[in-house]
Amino acid sequence: MRSKTLAIAAISLLGLAAPASAGAVTLIGSGSVAAQPVLQALFATYTKKVNKKVHFVYTANGGNAGVKDVQNGTSQFAGQARTPLPSDAGTTYIKMFLDGLCLDVNPKNPLSNITIQQTHDIYRGLVTNWSQVGSSLGTTIDPVGRDTNGGTYNFFLQAVLNNEPPASNVNALTADGLVVNAVKQDPNAIGYAGLAWQKKGLKPLKVNGVPCAPGKISVEPLKYPLSRYLFLVLPGDGSTSPKALLKFVDWARRSPLAGSVISKAGGVPAFNKK
Amino acid sequence: MEEQLPQEYGPKWSDQRVERMLVALVCAVVALLLALIVTVFVRAWPSFSHNGLAWFSSGGSVEDQLNAISLSAQTSGEYVYTFHAWPLIWSTLLITGGAVLIALVSALFISVFIVEFAPEWMSNILQPVIRFLASVPSVIYGLLGVLVLVPFIGNHLVTEEQKASVAGVISLTGYSLVAAILVLTIMIAPLMVSIFSDGLRAVKPGWLEGSLGLGVNRWRTTWKIGVRSARPAIIAGTVLAVARAIGEAVMLAMISGSVAFAPNPADGLIFIYEPSRPLAPTIVKNIDQLSSPPFNATLFSIAAVLLFSAALFSLAGWTARRAMRKYLMP
Repeated sequence: MRSKTLAIAAISLLGLAAPASAGAVTLIGSGSVAAQPVLQALFATYTKKVNKKVHFVYTANGGNAGVKDVQNGTSQFAGQARTPLPSDAGTTYIKMFLDGLCLDVNPKNPLSNITIQQTHDIYRGLVTNWSQVGSSLGTTIDPVGRDTNGGTYNFFLQAVLNNEPPASNVNALTADGLVVNAVKQDPNAIGYAGLAWQKKGLKPLKVNGVPCAPGKISVEPLKYPLSRYLFLVLPGDGSTSPKALLKFVDWARRSPLAGSVISKAGGVPAFNKK
Repeated sequence: MEEQLPQEYGPKWSDQRVERMLVALVCAVVALLLALIVTVFVRAWPSFSHNGLAWFSSGGSVEDQLNAISLSAQTSGEYVYTFHAWPLIWSTLLITGGAVLIALVSALFISVFIVEFAPEWMSNILQPVIRFLASVPSVIYGLLGVLVLVPFIGNHLVTEEQKASVAGVISLTGYSLVAAILVLTIMIAPLMVSIFSDGLRAVKPGWLEGSLGLGVNRWRTTWKIGVRSARPAIIAGTVLAVARAIGEAVMLAMISGSVAFAPNPADGLIFIYEPSRPLAPTIVKNIDQLSSPPFNATLFSIAAVLLFSAALFSLAGWTARRAMRKYLMP
């Protein structure tokens, strides 16, 4: 219902946005919120610098909704932040770029390394004091996370919590920015956020000894435990999509220009040549 | 077609025609309102019919229940509707009640001061400032709460012993009852002040002058004559403020804390630092689940309760004002 409305809105937008020039193509996509900042940057650069006749409309309605849109034909492609499931039948997943989820503490916290198991115990409410994970802080841990609306929440749930729900002492905030803000302001907090959020005032922890840095995330095999591919989902075996779309996918995956756009927007290029 | 100036305002826009149009407009608004109420209650019905009065009771964790509801739709088995909303209702009552109580007392004194005691230049400044404050969007108050009040409470007021005493159950990080009540008070008090002071100003001057003329001092006159006869306005302002407080979602979602925990006064002073989540923010936080039928019904049941209580308060205000009609200006 919602995606239908969005599609109608997108199509009516298309009428406004697409210039009347002959040969112009508008590609319609939907899906992952986590992939949105990078995808939007790629779209903008592609339209501006590579092919002025190709335009994109992308609705960030969540990865699962996006795949459904591709299956029933409302979208030509979808962004997706998780690996394929059986329910995605009739679609093709293409690895586009990488993303890493960093575990952050306040710079006042002397802790520098944490294991996935420790993080799991903190967010399940089993470990509540910093001294229990080897920090000299000795205070009560304030775990901060996203609410269920967030794509990062789902990834964290799968990668760290084994799909068990977070404990009641986890403060679930409504936006990634609020999580970052909470960690910046509270010396006892721990939170999680994507690479794009790692700025001053936050201290990303090493996870299982591997730092949360683009260099460790990009090299196969993925050394950083909380790294993931972000996918573009196409209908069928991928060959039936419009030529313009396939060209864009190839450009975004391989060109050095796209690589720099991806890293500027907070992702990690996976295949782009330097 | 006559060539006269008021032609287009003439027969074409006769009083009768305008009246008919206005009646039609009113009917449309009423129909829309009815449709809204019916939609909300029809959608909410599955949740109410499965839970009965237990909907309003406590029992188990709200978070687990919401999870179970969401999962039941994904696994395409029987839909689960079990939902006991007491922690959310309790939080709404505490936050709304606390804020309205504090705002009522302070707004009353502020408006008495502005109308009766403040020098003219001061009330000339205060008036527009308060009207402006009343119209500030709630998300701005929410931001101020998140950036200033919440970290202050979390880092300076809550002690390590207090945090450790509830560790593993809830986090006392400043997202708290007291933060929510304070910011909500600041949000609704200006609304009350501007309505109260309009009411105070509308009191018949003769009544006040009569009292002063009999030698009653100014404070007593204001309190016994001014405030008493402004009671209809005080009730109207309070009803409006309650409605705004109950329905406030964005600001509270930002600072009340996100856990469906029922703060317990028996915990002592910690009680005011405990996080909770009222009804309206629960809808905001779970909005992405609208596409799952049992969750949809649950969210609409929350909306129905909010709608119903807002209607109840309007009704109560109306009844109270009816009883005080004699104080209104003729």
